[in-house]
Amino acid sequence: MEIDLDGIVIIVGNYGSGKTEVCINLAVNRKMAGLEVRIADLDLVNPYFRTREAKTRLAELGIEVVVPPKQYMQADLPILSPVVAGMIRQPSQLTLLDMGGNDVGVNVLAALGDALSGRKIHVLQVVNPFRPFTDTAEGCLKIRNEIEMASRLSISGIIGNANLIDETTVEDIYTGYDFVSGLSKESGLPLKFVTVAAELMPEIDIKHFTCPVLLIERQLVPPWKRSISLASKMK
Amino acid sequence: MGKILMKGNEAIGEAAIRAGCLNYFAYPITPQSEVAEYLSRRMPEVGGVFLQGESEVAVSYMLFGASACGARVFTTSSSPGISLMSEGISYIAGAQCPAVFVNIMRGGPGLGGILPSQADYFQATKGGGHGDYRLLVMAPASVQEAVEMVMLAFPLAEKYRNPVMLLGDGLIGQMMEPVEFPDHLKSEPTNKDEWATNGMDTRGSNKRNLVKTLFLDAGKLNEHNLMLKAKYDRMKREEIRYELYNIESDYKALIVSYGTMSRVCKTAIDNMKDEGLEVGMVRPQTLFPFPENAVYEAASKESCKVVVSIEMSMGQMVEDVERCVKGKLPVKWYGKCGGDVPTPEEVVEAVKSFL
Repeated sequence: MEIDLDGIVIIVGNYGSGKTEVCINLAVNRKMAGLEVRIADLDLVNPYFRTREAKTRLAELGIEVVVPPKQYMQADLPILSPVVAGMIRQPSQLTLLDMGGNDVGVNVLAALGDALSGRKIHVLQVVNPFRPFTDTAEGCLKIRNEIEMASRLSISGIIGNANLIDETTVEDIYTGYDFVSGLSKESGLPLKFVTVAAELMPEIDIKHFTCPVLLIERQLVPPWKRSISLASKMK
Repeated sequence: MGKILMKGNEAIGEAAIRAGCLNYFAYPITPQSEVAEYLSRRMPEVGGVFLQGESEVAVSYMLFGASACGARVFTTSSSPGISLMSEGISYIAGAQCPAVFVNIMRGGPGLGGILPSQADYFQATKGGGHGDYRLLVMAPASVQEAVEMVMLAFPLAEKYRNPVMLLGDGLIGQMMEPVEFPDHLKSEPTNKDEWATNGMDTRGSNKRNLVKTLFLDAGKLNEHNLMLKAKYDRMKREEIRYELYNIESDYKALIVSYGTMSRVCKTAIDNMKDEGLEVGMVRPQTLFPFPENAVYEAASKESCKVVVSIEMSMGQMVEDVERCVKGKLPVKWYGKCGGDVPTPEEVVEAVKSFL
């Protein structure tokens, strides 16, 4: 089952839900499917582990990442590049906006309100039930509500990203899938896809899921670990 | 309760709650602001207090005041914020009140930058504030260890009636790892009647508790300092904690490294082992008291030719390492300071260059 997404896709969710890792790997997945893909790193609230850290690797695959000017790259300042509004007005086949966490992370969308108005967009909420505050459907819906209030946009789908990084088990993936399926039913929001880390994929029974699966090749790793080569199949 | 995925900063906040600390005063600063953000949500849920001070100076005295009343207290900050708190830390140590400080270090001096650093080693272990005081300093290398150290920090602060500092770098605060928390909650300090100014009727004794740091009489101040020194000497006897890595091998070089830097070193040691070069490591978990004997003994191994202190600073811990090695072997330093954490490859190259 292929992930059927194009146009403008805004990735939101609570702090640390895995938006950036999802965004990078979704970009690679769609690029491999033949789409022209661009990403804007709009995480203006988090100082570490941002999309900009994978910029070079993505560029090698022909995926452009729009980031703040070089001299401000490591600043904890809310810098919104004017290029982003242009990206929305003239979107690529897939334009991904990687937002910051929680409601504060989407405040910047208000500044892009004019550019976004009247356009068909997907706003997808990333959910990892192994994170604090989103281990219940109630917690996820509270965050949904806060994000919708702050961004003045409606969330249109859910991405299941259940993981404990290196310690994720197959059981965790299935438990996470059951959780987001339940959340999808309760909220009426479609489950767009779930994620599975590349190293777990051989042990996963894909028939277990009724939605597409996005393979995660982890990129935002601490300095003592090596990231998995992105889109190894493409090279 | 099973494992959950947490940022170091969030886990530090949760660990304090699990340790029974319901008083958190702080001022936000990158890269530790998530502790305040997390606790601003969590403290009201557990009936605790989160109060944002008007500055770090104010925060340090909020801790002093609450601790003087017998409450379990803690704060978190990052390097420039800890500099501002240093006056209060000196007063708290002088008045013998327990308190827990967490420093999620960023680069300095001055405003420096917001990326990881270990350049506050001197500040944490050798002073920071004025006067003859010491902090018990612990340095976690993982999010789980940060949780365990926070939970240990409160009883230790109370045992010694002294501030305890958790010294983590920006990476510990910002990285996410799966963690587990012990279930039971601890309550307020069991020995608070020794110092708390909470009313004699609550203590059922006639002993007056007076929290002060002023001793105008030379003899009295000397006595006070001797008593403090005896506590720091006791820490050296009872609280040294460290981890040894690849120490059974016939290593040619010995690395001394702490915090997340030590994890880069472990990867480097594994890589060198694959190439046939054995390297051992001592990882201090307490920076004060420093694992003096462990470093000396590890450096005494026949096969060992050099000791290398690897740290995200321009060479601070290396002075303690030199002191411990006592001239037995050459002691070298390798490090970077600015936010670029040395890679395993750079560590391998540095170690080889000293052999």
